[in-house]
Amino acid sequence: MDKLIEERIFKILMVVSLGIVVGSLFMVIAVIIWNGAPSLSISMITQTPKGGYYLGKEGGILNAIMGSLYLAFGSVILAFIISLPAALSLQKDYIGKTRLAYYIRLSLDVLWGTPSIVYGAFGFIVMLYFGMRASLLGGIIVLTILQLPIMIRSMEEVIKLVPYELKEASYTLGATRFETTFGVVMRQALPGIFTAVILAFGRGIGDAASVLFTAGYTDSLPRSLLDPVASLPLAVFFQLGTPFPEVQRRAYASALILLLIVLTLSIVSRYLSRKFTKNIIR
Amino acid sequence: MKSHISIQDVNAFYGDHQALRNITVEIPQKQVTAIIGPSGCGKSTLLKCLNRLIDLTDGASVSGKIIVDGINVLNGSIDVTDVRRKMGLLPQKPNPLPMSIYDNIAYGPKLHGKPGKKEMDEIVEKYLKISGLWEEVKDRLKSPANKLSIGQQQRLCLARGLAVEPDIILCDEPTSALDPVSSQHIEQQLLKLKTNYTIVIVTHNIHQAMRLADYVIHLYLGELVEHGHANEVFENPKEERTRAYINGTFSIDLKIDSEANLKGKMCPFNFVYAKQALHNLEDGKILKIIVDDPTAVTEVPRGMEADGHKVLIVKEINKTDWEIVIQK
Ligand SMILES: Nc1ncnc2c1ncn2[C@@H]1O[C@H](COP(=O)(O)OP(=O)(O)OP(=O)(O)O)[C@@H](O)[C@H]1O
Ligand SMILES: [Mg+2]
Repeated sequence: MDKLIEERIFKILMVVSLGIVVGSLFMVIAVIIWNGAPSLSISMITQTPKGGYYLGKEGGILNAIMGSLYLAFGSVILAFIISLPAALSLQKDYIGKTRLAYYIRLSLDVLWGTPSIVYGAFGFIVMLYFGMRASLLGGIIVLTILQLPIMIRSMEEVIKLVPYELKEASYTLGATRFETTFGVVMRQALPGIFTAVILAFGRGIGDAASVLFTAGYTDSLPRSLLDPVASLPLAVFFQLGTPFPEVQRRAYASALILLLIVLTLSIVSRYLSRKFTKNIIR
Repeated sequence: MKSHISIQDVNAFYGDHQALRNITVEIPQKQVTAIIGPSGCGKSTLLKCLNRLIDLTDGASVSGKIIVDGINVLNGSIDVTDVRRKMGLLPQKPNPLPMSIYDNIAYGPKLHGKPGKKEMDEIVEKYLKISGLWEEVKDRLKSPANKLSIGQQQRLCLARGLAVEPDIILCDEPTSALDPVSSQHIEQQLLKLKTNYTIVIVTHNIHQAMRLADYVIHLYLGELVEHGHANEVFENPKEERTRAYINGTFSIDLKIDSEANLKGKMCPFNFVYAKQALHNLEDGKILKIIVDDPTAVTEVPRGMEADGHKVLIVKEINKTDWEIVIQK
């Protein structure tokens, strides 16, 4: 009898928690579509703000869309270039078992938990020191630092899951550590590495606090890496801050665009990573 | 008997635990050497010392000498990839690489030289043929290796190991994860290969050792108990511990459901009679047969396993007669 009650309670708990998960996701999406879709228009995504945009007049947020894409792609590429070798070197075949690796993991975990405004403030101070002003480059660098812990730690986790027998097979054929890492480990971990990149991309494109001081905000498209650049999260923030309901609705439209970008990317990546998985050993 | 691998006073430790004690033995060239012994006696460890795979285990250390072709493979300053290339390893559980069938074979040769496309095609075909897999996969070389059956994967691993052109093949219980038919396949390939390769096989299966081995090494608790030619060790072990181990693996108490005395019958008639006797039994029932034809001792169990039956015991009961116990 007791067992039956346990079973029942656990079942209720599962249903409730799943309900909360699915329900809140659904609500977030519904609210944003509900409020944003009516204001979504072609001009929203093809034009930069005209004079008086924030008063409810003509224009769009192309500046923020492009700005966010530049920032996110730039930082993800940079972070990837740094993260992959870092994650690979944390294998036990390399430095994985050393004290150094322990401290690296520890600091990455601390960094992961650090609020992004701290990164923003840090970036701001460094840029002041070098006499740089808010720019695309500054934003990319700070976002890269923000993404590193996510990317390295998630890559490391999937690399750790590569069965040891696979590495052993490679070693017995006379492969070196390097050949084994790139010939076997990378192949086996590829779908997971992909996921890590998408995760970091999501965090990069969605973060407002770290780009507030470092990338700035502007109504025009950046012409060089040293120009300030707008971003979608800040576009949402500023538009929501105006007293005009019409502009506030555009904030929701901007949020919807942000959502669509992230959604598209994760669908595409799902599709691509499925292509990679056909050779994976389970 | 020409020695190929000379193991001299090898001691191996995992941390404080000594897994091998003063092992000194010669492994003959172009013959099958079986390493037998109970679980945990250091069989895998000895194998891992030969190809230095033990280097990859944390806290493991090895002392002594292992001379192969005049080179001490335990010497820390030699190129370990050269050592490993010389020895193909067939693991207990097949471990295909996460790539296509073709690329699995090509992986090794690519590491050690850059054969052209045509040359590589030839290499792949050659070794798939040697391992007896070619006919089954020649139309789907580009499909993932993980789609093969376990038995096919093991033959793929054999082909992959051979493709780096080793002189020595090391097998760590290569058939223990396989069904009887696949096991037999692997055994047949190994028997064919011994004309060109020195083969060292770790096995828990005494019958397998009897079927394959020319030379036998018996380890017990990290010590070398006995080594010698297979027929001497199996028929007339010098050491009581070896006798006990060999008999011990036979003397399982079994309920015999049917018996057949096939003395005086030659191959393949004894096989046919045995099949007939099995035919009358239900699945899972056990048949005991007595044979006195020496070829039957190896051929009948092999045929039975090929038919999907399980051979439980092959035991010499006196100078001329053997007892074979088969489960349908
Ligand atoms: N990585 C390891 N770390 C610590 N001890 C180990 C390790 N590998 C093996 N040992 C120990 O060394 C001894 C020999 O192990 P080994 O794997 O060589 O035995 P084996 O004869 O191959 O056994 P089995 O037939 O079960 O495979 C055992 O006592 C085992 O517990
Ligand atoms: Mg073992």
